[in-house]
Amino acid sequence: MKKLVASICLITSCGTSIKAEPLPTLPPYAGVYQPKGVDEIGLWQEDDEDERALRDSSVIIRDEKLTAYLKEVLCRTVGPERCESVRIYVLKESVFNASMSPNGTMRIFTGLLLRCRNEAELAAVLGHEFGHFEQRHTLKEFKKKRSATDALSWAAVLAAAASTYQGNSSYSDLRYSVYGELYRYNRDQEREADRLGVAYLNRSDLRPQAASEIWVNQMAEITVSSQAKGFKKPQFNKVAYTASHPPHLERAATMAALALPEGNSRDDGHIRYQNAIRPWLAQFLDDQIKVGDFGASEYIITSLAQSGWTSDLWHARGELFRLRGNPRDHVNAVDFYRAAIALDPLKAESYRGQGLSLMKTGQRAEAATAFNRFLELKPDSQDASMVKMLLQSLAEVKS
Amino acid sequence: MKHRTRIASVLFIMGIAGTFSNPASANALKEAGKVALVAKTGMSVTPPRAWNSLALRPSKNAEIWTLDGEQLNKVTFFAGIASGVPLYKERNKKRESLPKMRADTLLVDIPELLEGTIRGYNNVAIFEVTNSMPAKFLGKDAIQFNYTYTDNDQLPRLGEAVATIVGGKLYMVTFEAPRLHYFKRTVEDYRRLVASASLK
Amino acid sequence: MKYLSKILAILLAVSVWPSAAFAQERTATKQGFELTPNSGKKILVFRPTVKVGAQSTGGLFEPNAQWTDDARKHLSNALRARKATLGNEVIFAPEPVGDDAIVLQEHMALFSAVSSAVIQYQFFAGNRLPTKKQDNKNDVFDWSIGDQVATLPGARDADYGLFIYNEDQFGSTGRKLLQVVALLGPRISVKSGEHRGYAALIDLKTGDVLWLNADSAMGGDVRDAEGATKRVSQLLEGIPGAALTASAK
Repeated sequence: MKKLVASICLITSCGTSIKAEPLPTLPPYAGVYQPKGVDEIGLWQEDDEDERALRDSSVIIRDEKLTAYLKEVLCRTVGPERCESVRIYVLKESVFNASMSPNGTMRIFTGLLLRCRNEAELAAVLGHEFGHFEQRHTLKEFKKKRSATDALSWAAVLAAAASTYQGNSSYSDLRYSVYGELYRYNRDQEREADRLGVAYLNRSDLRPQAASEIWVNQMAEITVSSQAKGFKKPQFNKVAYTASHPPHLERAATMAALALPEGNSRDDGHIRYQNAIRPWLAQFLDDQIKVGDFGASEYIITSLAQSGWTSDLWHARGELFRLRGNPRDHVNAVDFYRAAIALDPLKAESYRGQGLSLMKTGQRAEAATAFNRFLELKPDSQDASMVKMLLQSLAEVKS
Repeated sequence: MKHRTRIASVLFIMGIAGTFSNPASANALKEAGKVALVAKTGMSVTPPRAWNSLALRPSKNAEIWTLDGEQLNKVTFFAGIASGVPLYKERNKKRESLPKMRADTLLVDIPELLEGTIRGYNNVAIFEVTNSMPAKFLGKDAIQFNYTYTDNDQLPRLGEAVATIVGGKLYMVTFEAPRLHYFKRTVEDYRRLVASASLK
Repeated sequence: MKYLSKILAILLAVSVWPSAAFAQERTATKQGFELTPNSGKKILVFRPTVKVGAQSTGGLFEPNAQWTDDARKHLSNALRARKATLGNEVIFAPEPVGDDAIVLQEHMALFSAVSSAVIQYQFFAGNRLPTKKQDNKNDVFDWSIGDQVATLPGARDADYGLFIYNEDQFGSTGRKLLQVVALLGPRISVKSGEHRGYAALIDLKTGDVLWLNADSAMGGDVRDAEGATKRVSQLLEGIPGAALTASAK
């Protein structure tokens, strides 16, 4: 996998600069935003209702410390004047995504927090989303989406009618070209937001090269995920965030080129970031593993491990393999749990996972030892009585 | 000629309108006290009160019963899920694969199997198993467990399930309902259904 | 040419057929529930959910703030105007904050689920649950959103809660034309516009649905005062205790 990232870097010249384009400058800030025009007021209104629903919804993680940290990163990126009007909501969902609505609501998904390795990478994404807000993109996209879907519907009806009589539908071709147009339009807006995002980073105290790096990392994850699912080509278009963003190689190269070369020696804030996320990491990893995308999860874990393996990361890897559960997987899982326990001998859940995988590789005595240790450490765990029963059955077999 | 074509097109349209009003199969009544075979398998249930079974089924080996609508109370029977088979029929085997029953699946693994299924199929981000314990089901050693989750209608739900493995195949009955009022209201009826279940 | 226009006329007329083909119940009252005017009972009106916009040819919902604002304003006014004719005292519920807001949100989500279950499985002829068919025969209407309603802000001071959900998507011209063409050829059903509303009287002690009006094809244009008045009349049609219905008897 390092080779994969390296080869992508070779194409996009990660970390080096190509002085082909003038560096982006920040527009003067227009101040607190007032909606104009019917469509804009429309979205805003819906957004206010949406924000009301969001505020009261059960998928929000309501943690003041985490939200304050994220707001602080945003403010250091786009400046205090700009970030003042933004309300941040953290949504518990394991997707690489963040979005911003015209009324100043910023949604940050936990899948993004999981995948960022440092503050600069997070700042790159938040700055990009703020760029949409500043450029009032959402409204334009909505207008465009409307006429695109009009064309789509007519085509569906007409083509379906044609297929009845001629047995041949050109609908799929038409759909492709319509979506194609939608992509190009969106991608232009995304390019704008990218430029703005890097401009913010350049002006901040964080390392701007991170914008390109997080993108390269995403591409690698999707590539590995597609391969693991048995696809010959990476399914970039099937992933929400990437489906509407510019072609990946081009994008990574552009952002690398726009980054201030002098900024390369700046802090990327990885220590601060890891400290802020550490209390949440186990939960985010668990959510990711349970999505069931083996390739992506494996990639994320090993990518995060580049700055050092922790017991959380080893444990997550153990769970990942155990839950996929192919025969060889259990052998690997046992080792991963062992590594987690070596770093944290009190990690109860790792003993449980290890015990299960040991059982499935026929190592019943070792399994019993692991289960006993689990019960010692966590006697009130939610399935303690089931584990006790397992122990009993193991003892019976022995005797 | 023109006249006939005119009539023909009107009749054609009437025909279409008619098709829309007749669904292919209907929801069925499960009468109180009458033995009902579940998902056309050897597992049968004798409901103490009348239930409805839905025409829509998650897979060949599963069947949904409800009193008021699956959004308000939902009992799902899984009967004879064999090794290599998922709990629901996968929408897309490659892109949206679901966890599978396996030859080495233990009772203690079953909550994770259900969790992975619901998370994957319903795109649910919030799911937690809260309580697992040994039980009896179909006369065999079984696991009973409780869970909570929030689906896309923003309504938090509670779940309870009982499951056993017979001849390498999974038999499970789950119950899900909004935690506001509905779970408590019907959980005893669900438990009575479970108590009445048997395997030929 | 004359022939074509006749076909078109038939098609346009027929474009309203599919909805007419499904005979729908719209209202139900809990067996034994009675509310008379001036009974001394209090009705608590919760903030209605109001969404108004256009439905593009492609089926996309275009929220329109001006329309929604107008609709909300007109619906509120119409509700307040109806206050007197509701026959009993009406209080508008305070806007909750913090945890209270979350609890209300959960109740609203449950109300929406219950209303849709009623339409899907008791009202709508095509897909009824057999036990609900039985209920219909026996004049039984037994639904609830649970007794935690009693903890909602304002509930302690009232007897019944009025829950209202209103969503209007006006079909664009393109959408209407599409509907006609769709009928002609392929087996595609295209619905133009959506005008759905649920109104319910809930017992604030038990959460029982005492009366429900659930309609997924309502008339009137909520964007103006007249239309909103008409809509409120439709939503509250037959609401128990109304002085209007009482005098009509």
